[in-house]
Amino acid sequence: MNYVHPIHILHSECAMSKPAVILIGADKGGVGKTTVARTLLDYFGARHMPARAFDTESPRGTLKRFHPDVTEIVDVTSVADQMKIFDTVGSAEAKVTVIDVRAGLLSSTLQALSDIGFIELGKTGQITLAMFHILGPSIASLEEIAETARFVGDANYFLVKNHINETSFFEWDPTTYKSFFKKIKGAEEITIPKLNEMACEQVEVAGIPYASFVANKNAKGETANYSFVLRGYVRHWLGQVWGEFDRVKLVDLVSPKSEKNIRQVAG
Amino acid sequence: MLADARAVSGCLMSFRNSIAIITSPRPRVGKTLLARLLTDFHLQEGRPVAAFDLNAGEGTLAQFLPEHVTRSTIDDLKGQMALFDRLMTEDDAAKIVDLGRASFEHFFVLANQFGFAQEATRRGIVPVLLYLMSPDRTSVEAYRGLCSRLPEVMLAPVHNEIFGAAQYGNNKYAPIGSGTVIVRLPLLAANVRKYVERPPFSFADSENAAAFDVDANIELQHWLRRIYREFRELDLRISLTAHRQTPIRQGG
Repeated sequence: MNYVHPIHILHSECAMSKPAVILIGADKGGVGKTTVARTLLDYFGARHMPARAFDTESPRGTLKRFHPDVTEIVDVTSVADQMKIFDTVGSAEAKVTVIDVRAGLLSSTLQALSDIGFIELGKTGQITLAMFHILGPSIASLEEIAETARFVGDANYFLVKNHINETSFFEWDPTTYKSFFKKIKGAEEITIPKLNEMACEQVEVAGIPYASFVANKNAKGETANYSFVLRGYVRHWLGQVWGEFDRVKLVDLVSPKSEKNIRQVAG
Repeated sequence: MLADARAVSGCLMSFRNSIAIITSPRPRVGKTLLARLLTDFHLQEGRPVAAFDLNAGEGTLAQFLPEHVTRSTIDDLKGQMALFDRLMTEDDAAKIVDLGRASFEHFFVLANQFGFAQEATRRGIVPVLLYLMSPDRTSVEAYRGLCSRLPEVMLAPVHNEIFGAAQYGNNKYAPIGSGTVIVRLPLLAANVRKYVERPPFSFADSENAAAFDVDANIELQHWLRRIYREFRELDLRISLTAHRQTPIRQGG
């Protein structure tokens, strides 16, 4: 069931500013998509870049639990929810939209985006479309790259190796990995390092963003009493993750710039 | 919150809300002696004190002052939480860490990763590094490394007079300038040393001095007065540093 997007509406909206959409996905579950989505929301929050998120784990979403103020749970297969996400990309106050795509829905979501012309908008530069492909430890996850590359083509493609749970990627043959990696022009690799188990668990229990845990704040923004050491581990880990986002120049990629501003700078 | 109250009035900052890390990457330079003296100084001043011993082997701080010192380790998460979380507790106890060679690098790596100095400052706690100077290259380089790794921490180099003046001559400890606090650990006379080097021993326990011969007792009291004066000066520096919110060593 695909919704046909009225591209001309977004064309006029893009004349004002250039929104960014970041898709986070993997065809396998349990590889840490939501973890990456959480670090991205923290990253944009720390840089005062308004971001909103859609959690496609309908009816109950993990992302929503950690970032309730900016997250909406949607069923990406329903036309109504597709409208909610994509029709508002240009008009929403938050110019960065993060979509946590549920396991198993990556290919179908990309197909839907292709059908409604959304991927085309990314290719023509009217929106910034980025794909965070979270890799699992098996060779099967590499095969997904070929599948998704078919859709996104030249979109900004990031292959994310998530070690947060000490996932071992060593079973991959480097030559095989490189051959898949090369299938996407300009793809960049991002590595999420391991986080101490107890620190990870404490943030899960607290049900708050990583940045709030580091700042010793509870869900209401009040001063909490989390262990300094555990906060220290999360602080260090989050710093490393954000260092990776800085390395791939994520802010430059998604920073919305109006056409007017671009013209002013140019001339 | 204590920290909020301190933030309003910088004059409340003193040894009472400080963490003194007594350290050097070299063995046998006087770390434990200084840690013992500082712990006993607080006890004699009637201040609550919590001391932590990161050393193993003989003649450790915990062996000298078993009632006031916690044996610690930072090799595992449990030990790290027991030490660092306690150091950050806002309970008005003066905290002392005797940090030897074995844990030196690991401690500062963790401190850096955890944002130790920033967190302490946020809580109204002054972290002070009492660094026992020695003339060797390892020690000089480690000191310089700490200056750049922990710019927010108040550095107080310690001159142990047993080693003479050579330990910081010829600009070995280059960042030391006119505004830097140098704590002097006076030379302890040989006739006193034999009494105080066998654990357990507390300088704050007057009954210990009763076992001394008269000359040794006079010598000890004179020596203690000198080092306690150094600590009082350091206390004053902590108050001034906290008040100005600027590192003292920048004066040089």
